[in-house]
Amino acid sequence: MSEIDEGLRSELQRQGIWVTSMQELYNWGRKNSIWPLQFGLACCAIEMIATAASRYDIARFGGEVFRPSPRQADLMIVAGTVTKKMAPQVVRLYNQMPDPKYVISMGACAISGGPFKTGYNVLKGIDRYIPVDVYIPGCPPRPEALLHAFMELQRKIDSQKLTGSEKATHLDSTQPSEFPVPSFGAHDLEPPANPDVFQPPKIERT
Amino acid sequence: MIGTGILKGMAVTARNFVGSYFEKDRLITVQYPEERTPLAENYRNFPFLIYDTDDAEAGLRCVACKICEKECPPQCIYIIKSEDKKPDYMGKPQFYPAVFDIDISVCMSCQICVEVCPFEAIKMDKVFELSRRERFDALLQRKRELSKSNTYYHSICPTEAAEVDAKLAEAAAKKKPTPPPAAGSAPAAEPTPAPVI
Ligand code: SF4
Ligand code: SF4
Ligand code: SF4
Repeated sequence: MSEIDEGLRSELQRQGIWVTSMQELYNWGRKNSIWPLQFGLACCAIEMIATAASRYDIARFGGEVFRPSPRQADLMIVAGTVTKKMAPQVVRLYNQMPDPKYVISMGACAISGGPFKTGYNVLKGIDRYIPVDVYIPGCPPRPEALLHAFMELQRKIDSQKLTGSEKATHLDSTQPSEFPVPSFGAHDLEPPANPDVFQPPKIERT
Repeated sequence: MIGTGILKGMAVTARNFVGSYFEKDRLITVQYPEERTPLAENYRNFPFLIYDTDDAEAGLRCVACKICEKECPPQCIYIIKSEDKKPDYMGKPQFYPAVFDIDISVCMSCQICVEVCPFEAIKMDKVFELSRRERFDALLQRKRELSKSNTYYHSICPTEAAEVDAKLAEAAAKKKPTPPPAAGSAPAAEPTPAPVI
């Protein structure tokens, strides 16, 4: 179902028969019709809008259909500063998206808090609450950088498996597709990070 | 008259739409991975460290003075100064950074590190294709990745690099007659446009 021997495939191709597997067909369909959720949070969203406009034209990658409803979206582009006030809403929107769903964290703010990292009111990275597939550094990243991340996401989708122990998370019933929405505590969001999602490694300074 | 503005706007749209079938200039979509828009010379993204000569270790201009680390607004530079000294590209014994990390997941491309560096050791790069699937290790740039040659700097910012080279040559010529103390050499290369030093 999922793997075809490369030699056999090229042999068949020489005979005029083009074979594909269920997995390839499924991944091909998914990776070329990624509909982003239409929402922007700060200045990075301007670059996201530029990516959708005619010069960079994200439609060339099948991602032009920006959906205003999370129920119809596949991809959440977290473009901009996630304030602590906004973070529960972002997680709630993510929870409302149907599987399979992906997240691109665009810009320094969405990855780590960026310029506001030392501030008190900005979430230090959306990956504290939801799993992120691709990170784009930059303040703001160029539209080309967003396209580059989009292609990186397509490569990731292309390499996902339908079966086996390494199958895509949305096909794995043991993996959660919704994550707890943080609430406003006395001083910070409660909890400050979801330990199931956010496991920062220890950085070796060498 | 009411409506002329709309008509004018529609005419522009129509001219571009029809023209895009005949004129190459009106087809503005950049076919990104295959075709790129030329980057402006003063476009900048993330900092990198400059080294002279061919040796990335010995030629590194940075002397680990940690000014940039202190000034960086989001505090994304991390430096550990070396214990020993090594001769820099001019042959003077200097400290060097044993560790020099820039967390580009935090860096906001403000260029303040470049402005404060008295040794012209750190400059802004133009690489933007840095999307990664992992945030902590993949987006932390170490000294090895950050070190790039002066030739590379010339290739991305020719005007600015020539100015910097001229300034460094002038500073070197000025302090030739007197054997300078280690600290005295710094202000001569300062990027501020002070008339006399
Ligand atoms: S990363 Fe920079 S450009 Fe993007 S939202 Fe934050 S401050 Fe704005
Ligand atoms: S460009 Fe600004 S944010 Fe980035 S390392 Fe330099 S001082 Fe820090
Ligand atoms: S200010 Fe310049 S010389 Fe000093 S540590 Fe930073 S890069 Fe190195």
